[in-house]
Amino acid sequence: MTFPPHYRAAVQWQSRAVLGRHLTVYRRNWHTAVLPPLLEPIILLLAFGVGLGGFIPDFAWRGRPVAYLAYLAPGMLAYTAFMTAFFQALFAAYIRMHYQKTWEGQLITQVRLEHVIWGEVFWAATLGTVYALIVILVLAGFSLAGWLHLHWAGVVLVVPLLFLAALAFATLGLLFTALVPSIDHMNIPFFLVIMPLGFASSTYFPLEGDSPWTQAWLILNPLHHLAEGIRFLLLAGEWNSHLLAACGLFVLMIGVLIPLDERLLRRRVLGEG
Amino acid sequence: MSMPAPDSHPPDVPILRAAGLVKQFTGRRVVDGVDLQCRAGQVLGLLGANGAGKTTTLRLCAGFLQPDAGTIHVAGIDRRADPEAAARRVSVCTQDDTFDSDFTVRGNLEQMSRYFHPRPPAVKERIAALLERFGLDRYADAKPDILSGGYRRRLMLARALIHEPHLLFLDEPTTGLDPQARLEVWELIDALRRDGLALVLTTHYMDEAERLADELLILREGQGVAAGSSRAVLGDLVGEHVLVLDARNPAAETVRTWARQAGLPEPTRVLSTLHLALDGPGLARFSARFGDLRFEVRPPTLDDLFLKLAEKS
Repeated sequence: MTFPPHYRAAVQWQSRAVLGRHLTVYRRNWHTAVLPPLLEPIILLLAFGVGLGGFIPDFAWRGRPVAYLAYLAPGMLAYTAFMTAFFQALFAAYIRMHYQKTWEGQLITQVRLEHVIWGEVFWAATLGTVYALIVILVLAGFSLAGWLHLHWAGVVLVVPLLFLAALAFATLGLLFTALVPSIDHMNIPFFLVIMPLGFASSTYFPLEGDSPWTQAWLILNPLHHLAEGIRFLLLAGEWNSHLLAACGLFVLMIGVLIPLDERLLRRRVLGEG
Repeated sequence: MSMPAPDSHPPDVPILRAAGLVKQFTGRRVVDGVDLQCRAGQVLGLLGANGAGKTTTLRLCAGFLQPDAGTIHVAGIDRRADPEAAARRVSVCTQDDTFDSDFTVRGNLEQMSRYFHPRPPAVKERIAALLERFGLDRYADAKPDILSGGYRRRLMLARALIHEPHLLFLDEPTTGLDPQARLEVWELIDALRRDGLALVLTTHYMDEAERLADELLILREGQGVAAGSSRAVLGDLVGEHVLVLDARNPAAETVRTWARQAGLPEPTRVLSTLHLALDGPGLARFSARFGDLRFEVRPPTLDDLFLKLAEKS
């Protein structure tokens, strides 16, 4: 079986060379770059999980009484992978494409546009997963302190799932990199995608409702399935259908968005198509 | 230090051979049947007014874009059949600075070498040699942002040579540089020619094309309209002589009318002068008709050609 060129490029050496470039730059700046993803979950868990959670003593998830801090923890993992990957593929990639002209510098070599795209997607997904791992470390600290009780065996499944999620959200971010007319228009995907997808998704609060619109939104929102799937694994230690739904939606997103990203970026970067 | 010669390639076979190139954007033929060739140790100048198709031709040959029709061979390799092998033998020095500002000068060369497969042999030694050759060794550990315009160009050239290409495309290599820096870049380009590289140059500076290019290809509206040495191209497209007279002279209008009636090209107005291209018999007829008029006669230059192309497009 042969894959179409859009997907074959994912495993070619040029995509690894582009990913290697991003890793090299990050390794040099890791000591300053790592502070925000480390401090943010600590602050959020303390402010919302401990602080706000203290005002919600009878919090329940699917009929089970849980501490709000415990409810929040899987949501934060899902949100971190989503937000980091989307932001990297949108904002950081746009700067490399438009201002730093890094892409053009790569395209004059044996690297082709499809490799640049996969390199960006892998990098955004790697960073999204690493930042989620940092959240896991913070959660482990809270567990050691006795503030949080999770089924830690589920982490083995959670990490690859987060990587797949981050890959999919990176392809979505690149779609907007190809579409936004200028950096001043970056707030459009933030308000149109990040806010609705990020918050109406069972990450920070349970989203329920019987209306067909709510039901359709919950079925189609991959972040909802990701957050709930991880929640089942870490709070109940249970495998569940949200994990399958999340994986299916992520594979679908990657399958559809990679060729679309390539087509739109080919037009934007090379003036072709 | 001179660059190691590219690996064996028959000297009589052009390094770059493109035939019948066609490229359309939104239904408009931007490149329309262009043929070009460039041999080892030769500089081919691509000239034309804005929108003539120079940059698109260069981008097709360099592999950025796929032609809608036509063939491109680099060092005997069909670009369409084996784009990766062809790209290994080609390099581009872009008009914009496309070095990686997240790396030092040395880091840029190291990183560039990772975008080629197989990686250039003895890469550390090659980087040291390139830094020395382009006078970049004292800035090796600095970020490129601190470099002057001339040194940024040197870095772009050094980066472009990291993998020992056979063919180098130079897109407006001295745009925005001061005269001293331009001269230095010209000398570097000339040295690359002597090393046996095939070079394709696009430029808006006619003096640059005149000094550097061994052969010219003139593009107009996506088509090659003349090719050859600058003398041959000028003879074909401009004429043997250019007659310059004061455009404020009351007789200027009479000259225009005479040129029109004689079937000559429309004289070009440049500030307060009128330029009229003529062949030998035409000059004799002009002298007979306007013997009492003050005028100068000089050989045509590429500037005349450029003005003529810009006027027509």
